[in-house]
Amino acid sequence: MILSPSKYLNNMEQLPDFWRTEIWHPLTVHFPVAFLTLATIFLIAGYWLRKANPTYTGQILLIAGTIGAWIAVYTGGLADGIVSRQICDPTVLKSHENGAFTVAWLFSGASALVIGDYFGLLRQFRNWLRIGIIVLAVIGSGFLAYTGHLGATLVYQQAAGVYTPSDDCNEFIETSTEDRE
Amino acid sequence: MKKKLFYSAIIILTFMVSACGGKTDVVDSGTYEGTIKEVEAEKTEIYVETSDGKTLELYFTDETKLTQDGEEAQFSSLTEGQKVEVTVEKVGKRLDPKSVKILE
Repeated sequence: MILSPSKYLNNMEQLPDFWRTEIWHPLTVHFPVAFLTLATIFLIAGYWLRKANPTYTGQILLIAGTIGAWIAVYTGGLADGIVSRQICDPTVLKSHENGAFTVAWLFSGASALVIGDYFGLLRQFRNWLRIGIIVLAVIGSGFLAYTGHLGATLVYQQAAGVYTPSDDCNEFIETSTEDRE
Repeated sequence: MKKKLFYSAIIILTFMVSACGGKTDVVDSGTYEGTIKEVEAEKTEIYVETSDGKTLELYFTDETKLTQDGEEAQFSSLTEGQKVEVTVEKVGKRLDPKSVKILE
Protein backbone atom coordinates (compact mmCIF):
# COMPACT_ATOMS: atom_id res chain seq x y z
CA MET A 1 0.00 0.00 0.00
CA ILE A 2 1.26 3.43 -0.92
CA LEU A 3 0.52 6.07 1.65
CA SER A 4 0.17 9.68 0.68
CA PRO A 5 3.06 11.86 1.86
CA SER A 6 0.69 13.94 3.95
CA LYS A 7 0.03 10.90 6.13
CA TYR A 8 3.67 10.72 7.01
CA LEU A 9 5.57 12.83 9.41
CA ASN A 10 9.28 12.59 9.33
CA ASN A 11 11.28 12.42 12.50
CA MET A 12 13.98 14.23 10.53
CA GLU A 13 12.15 17.36 11.65
CA GLN A 14 14.19 16.86 14.79
CA LEU A 15 17.40 17.24 12.83
CA PRO A 16 19.11 20.62 12.74
CA ASP A 17 18.56 22.69 9.61
CA PHE A 18 21.06 21.73 6.90
CA TRP A 19 21.52 25.37 5.84
CA ARG A 20 22.78 26.45 9.22
CA THR A 21 25.49 29.09 9.55
CA GLU A 22 28.46 26.76 10.11
CA ILE A 23 27.68 24.84 6.89
CA TRP A 24 28.56 27.83 4.68
CA HIS A 25 32.25 27.28 5.40
CA PRO A 26 32.57 23.73 3.98
CA LEU A 27 30.34 24.83 1.09
CA THR A 28 32.74 27.62 0.13
CA VAL A 29 36.18 26.42 1.23
CA HIS A 30 36.74 23.60 -1.25
CA PHE A 31 36.62 25.81 -4.34
CA PRO A 32 39.67 27.92 -3.38
CA VAL A 33 41.51 24.78 -2.20
CA ALA A 34 41.10 23.23 -5.65
CA PHE A 35 41.60 26.49 -7.60
CA LEU A 36 44.76 27.54 -5.75
CA THR A 37 46.35 24.08 -5.90
CA LEU A 38 45.67 23.85 -9.63
CA ALA A 39 46.82 27.45 -10.13
CA THR A 40 50.21 26.59 -8.60
CA ILE A 41 50.56 23.51 -10.83
CA PHE A 42 49.61 25.46 -13.98
CA LEU A 43 51.92 28.37 -13.12
CA ILE A 44 54.87 26.03 -12.61
CA ALA A 45 54.01 24.10 -15.79
CA GLY A 46 53.72 27.34 -17.78
CA TYR A 47 57.09 28.59 -16.56
CA TRP A 48 58.77 25.20 -16.98
CA LEU A 49 57.41 24.54 -20.47
CA ARG A 50 57.70 28.20 -21.54
CA LYS A 51 54.10 28.10 -22.76
CA ALA A 52 51.56 30.89 -22.39
CA ASN A 53 48.37 28.84 -22.10
CA PRO A 54 49.12 27.05 -18.80
CA THR A 55 50.34 30.37 -17.39
CA TYR A 56 47.09 32.19 -18.33
CA THR A 57 45.03 29.32 -16.91
CA GLY A 58 47.10 29.43 -13.74
CA GLN A 59 46.68 33.21 -13.43
CA ILE A 60 42.88 33.03 -13.83
CA LEU A 61 42.67 30.18 -11.30
CA LEU A 62 44.93 32.13 -8.94
CA ILE A 63 42.75 35.25 -8.94
CA ALA A 64 39.50 33.25 -8.71
CA GLY A 65 41.01 31.12 -5.93
CA THR A 66 42.21 34.18 -4.00
CA ILE A 67 38.72 35.72 -4.08
CA GLY A 68 37.38 32.33 -2.96
CA ALA A 69 39.96 32.18 -0.16
CA TRP A 70 38.73 35.48 1.32
CA ILE A 71 35.12 34.28 1.06
CA ALA A 72 36.18 31.09 2.88
CA VAL A 73 37.92 33.19 5.55
CA TYR A 74 34.67 35.13 6.03
CA THR A 75 32.46 32.02 6.25
CA GLY A 76 35.09 30.44 8.53
CA GLY A 77 34.71 33.40 10.87
CA LEU A 78 30.96 32.82 10.96
CA ALA A 79 31.45 29.12 11.74
CA ASP A 80 34.09 29.90 14.38
CA GLY A 81 31.56 31.71 16.57
CA ILE A 82 29.45 28.54 16.73
CA VAL A 83 31.84 25.59 16.75
CA SER A 84 34.31 27.14 19.23
CA ARG A 85 31.69 26.58 21.93
CA GLN A 86 31.36 22.89 21.04
CA ILE A 87 34.78 21.48 20.21
CA CYS A 88 37.24 20.21 22.83
CA ASP A 89 40.42 21.86 21.53
CA PRO A 90 39.82 25.36 20.12
CA THR A 91 43.61 25.89 19.85
CA VAL A 92 43.49 23.79 16.67
CA LEU A 93 40.78 26.09 15.36
CA LYS A 94 42.96 29.11 16.16
CA SER A 95 45.89 27.60 14.21
CA HIS A 96 43.50 26.80 11.36
CA GLU A 97 42.29 30.42 11.37
CA ASN A 98 45.83 31.83 11.43
CA GLY A 99 46.87 29.46 8.65
CA ALA A 100 43.88 30.55 6.56
CA PHE A 101 44.86 34.21 6.87
CA THR A 102 48.43 33.34 5.87
CA VAL A 103 47.17 31.46 2.80
CA ALA A 104 44.84 34.29 1.81
CA TRP A 105 47.54 36.96 2.17
CA LEU A 106 50.21 34.95 0.31
CA PHE A 107 47.92 34.26 -2.64
CA SER A 108 46.71 37.88 -2.52
CA GLY A 109 50.37 38.91 -2.90
CA ALA A 110 50.77 36.53 -5.84
CA SER A 111 47.53 37.85 -7.41
CA ALA A 112 48.71 41.45 -6.97
CA LEU A 113 51.92 40.57 -8.84
CA VAL A 114 49.86 38.91 -11.62
CA ILE A 115 47.68 42.02 -11.96
CA GLY A 116 50.77 44.24 -11.88
CA ASP A 117 52.31 42.10 -14.63
CA TYR A 118 49.11 42.29 -16.69
CA PHE A 119 49.08 46.10 -16.59
CA GLY A 120 52.77 46.24 -17.48
CA LEU A 121 53.90 47.60 -14.13
CA LEU A 122 57.48 46.75 -13.22
CA ARG A 123 58.02 45.66 -16.83
CA GLN A 124 61.79 45.63 -16.37
CA PHE A 125 61.42 43.00 -13.62
CA ARG A 126 59.00 40.77 -15.57
CA ASN A 127 60.98 37.55 -15.22
CA TRP A 128 61.53 38.11 -11.50
CA LEU A 129 57.86 38.85 -11.08
CA ARG A 130 56.90 35.54 -12.66
CA ILE A 131 59.31 33.64 -10.44
CA GLY A 132 58.06 35.65 -7.45
CA ILE A 133 54.47 34.65 -8.26
CA ILE A 134 55.49 30.98 -8.39
CA VAL A 135 57.48 31.25 -5.13
CA LEU A 136 54.49 32.81 -3.34
CA ALA A 137 52.11 30.23 -4.84
CA VAL A 138 54.34 27.31 -3.81
CA ILE A 139 54.76 28.60 -0.23
CA GLY A 140 51.02 29.41 -0.18
CA SER A 141 50.23 25.86 -1.30
CA GLY A 142 52.33 24.48 1.56
CA PHE A 143 50.34 26.56 4.05
CA LEU A 144 47.15 25.57 2.22
CA ALA A 145 47.92 21.87 2.74
CA TYR A 146 48.71 22.43 6.44
CA THR A 147 45.61 24.60 6.98
CA GLY A 148 43.45 22.06 5.16
CA HIS A 149 44.85 19.30 7.35
CA LEU A 150 43.94 21.28 10.48
CA GLY A 151 40.44 21.84 9.09
CA ALA A 152 40.10 18.11 8.48
CA THR A 153 41.20 17.28 12.05
CA LEU A 154 38.59 19.72 13.36
CA VAL A 155 35.88 17.84 11.49
CA TYR A 156 37.07 14.24 11.83
CA GLN A 157 38.54 14.38 15.33
CA GLN A 158 36.34 17.00 16.98
CA ALA A 159 33.15 16.86 14.88
CA ALA A 160 33.24 20.62 14.32
CA GLY A 161 29.92 21.68 12.82
CA VAL A 162 28.84 18.06 12.50
CA TYR A 163 25.52 16.74 13.77
CA THR A 164 25.93 13.48 15.70
CA PRO A 165 22.94 11.16 15.23
CA SER A 166 21.33 9.57 18.27
CA ASP A 167 22.33 6.00 19.17
CA ASP A 168 19.09 4.52 17.85
CA CYS A 169 18.97 6.78 14.74
CA ASN A 170 15.33 7.40 15.58
CA GLU A 171 15.35 10.81 13.95
CA PHE A 172 15.86 9.15 10.55
CA ILE A 173 12.77 6.94 10.79
CA GLU A 174 9.55 7.96 9.11
CA THR A 175 6.41 7.45 11.16
CA SER A 176 2.83 7.86 10.06
CA THR A 177 0.59 10.39 11.75
CA GLU A 178 -1.65 7.50 12.76
CA ASP A 179 1.24 5.81 14.57
CA ARG A 180 1.94 8.98 16.45
CA GLU A 181 -1.66 9.42 17.49
CA MET B 1 72.21 41.46 -6.08
CA LYS B 2 68.77 42.98 -6.81
CA LYS B 3 67.50 39.50 -7.56
CA LYS B 4 68.66 38.19 -4.16
CA LEU B 5 67.04 41.18 -2.44
CA PHE B 6 63.78 40.55 -4.28
CA TYR B 7 63.57 36.89 -3.27
CA SER B 8 64.73 37.65 0.28
CA ALA B 9 61.90 40.19 0.53
CA ILE B 10 59.39 37.53 -0.55
CA ILE B 11 60.70 35.03 2.01
CA ILE B 12 60.76 37.62 4.81
CA LEU B 13 57.24 38.76 3.87
CA THR B 14 56.07 35.16 4.01
CA PHE B 15 57.45 34.68 7.51
CA MET B 16 55.93 38.00 8.62
CA VAL B 17 52.52 37.01 7.28
CA SER B 18 52.69 33.57 8.88
CA ALA B 19 53.73 35.08 12.23
CA CYS B 20 50.62 37.29 12.26
CA GLY B 21 47.51 36.13 14.04
CA GLY B 22 46.81 35.82 17.69
CA LYS B 23 48.07 33.08 19.90
CA THR B 24 45.90 32.01 22.79
CA ASP B 25 46.68 30.03 25.92
CA VAL B 26 44.98 27.25 27.82
CA VAL B 27 44.92 27.51 31.62
CA ASP B 28 43.52 25.34 34.40
CA SER B 29 40.03 25.86 35.78
CA GLY B 30 40.01 28.76 38.21
CA THR B 31 39.65 32.49 38.67
CA TYR B 32 41.94 34.93 36.89
CA GLU B 33 42.29 38.71 36.76
CA GLY B 34 43.22 40.46 33.60
CA THR B 35 42.53 43.13 31.01
CA ILE B 36 40.23 42.82 28.02
CA LYS B 37 42.40 42.88 24.90
CA GLU B 38 39.65 42.51 22.34
CA VAL B 39 35.86 42.25 22.22
CA GLU B 40 34.14 40.46 19.35
CA ALA B 41 30.51 41.43 19.87
CA GLU B 42 29.04 39.41 17.00
CA LYS B 43 30.56 36.23 18.43
CA THR B 44 30.02 37.26 22.07
CA GLU B 45 33.68 36.56 22.59
CA ILE B 46 36.42 38.34 24.53
CA TYR B 47 40.18 38.00 24.76
CA VAL B 48 41.57 38.56 28.24
CA GLU B 49 45.26 39.10 28.95
CA THR B 50 46.13 37.88 32.43
CA SER B 51 48.73 39.50 34.66
CA ASP B 52 51.25 36.77 33.77
CA GLY B 53 50.91 37.55 30.06
CA LYS B 54 48.60 34.72 29.02
CA THR B 55 45.80 35.35 26.54
CA LEU B 56 42.49 33.65 27.24
CA GLU B 57 39.95 33.37 24.44
CA LEU B 58 36.52 33.21 26.03
CA TYR B 59 33.29 32.50 24.20
CA PHE B 60 30.29 33.39 26.32
CA THR B 61 27.73 30.64 26.83
CA ASP B 62 24.17 30.70 28.14
CA GLU B 63 25.63 29.92 31.56
CA THR B 64 28.14 32.77 31.64
CA LYS B 65 27.26 35.29 34.34
CA LEU B 66 28.40 38.83 33.57
CA THR B 67 28.31 41.28 36.45
CA GLN B 68 29.37 44.83 37.26
CA ASP B 69 29.12 46.34 40.74
CA GLY B 70 27.32 43.22 41.91
CA GLU B 71 24.58 43.55 39.29
CA GLU B 72 23.95 41.67 36.09
CA ALA B 73 25.42 43.45 33.08
CA GLN B 74 24.94 43.27 29.32
CA PHE B 75 27.64 42.01 26.96
CA SER B 76 27.66 45.45 25.33
CA SER B 77 29.10 46.93 28.52
CA LEU B 78 32.40 45.15 27.85
CA THR B 79 35.11 47.27 26.24
CA GLU B 80 38.79 46.92 25.48
CA GLY B 81 41.10 47.86 28.31
CA GLN B 82 38.62 47.02 31.08
CA LYS B 83 39.89 45.10 34.07
CA VAL B 84 37.94 41.91 34.64
CA GLU B 85 37.92 38.87 36.88
CA VAL B 86 37.00 35.70 35.05
CA THR B 87 36.17 32.28 36.39
CA VAL B 88 36.75 29.61 33.77
CA GLU B 89 36.16 25.91 33.56
CA LYS B 90 38.59 23.92 31.46
CA VAL B 91 36.76 21.34 29.33
CA GLY B 92 39.32 19.44 27.28
CA LYS B 93 41.35 22.40 26.03
CA ARG B 94 38.31 24.66 25.84
CA LEU B 95 37.80 27.41 28.40
CA ASP B 96 34.16 27.97 29.30
CA PRO B 97 33.67 31.26 31.14
CA LYS B 98 31.43 30.64 34.14
CA SER B 99 31.51 34.22 35.33
CA VAL B 100 32.99 37.52 34.24
CA LYS B 101 33.14 40.35 36.72
CA ILE B 102 33.88 43.84 35.44
CA LEU B 103 36.22 45.44 37.96
CA GLU B 104 36.36 48.97 36.57
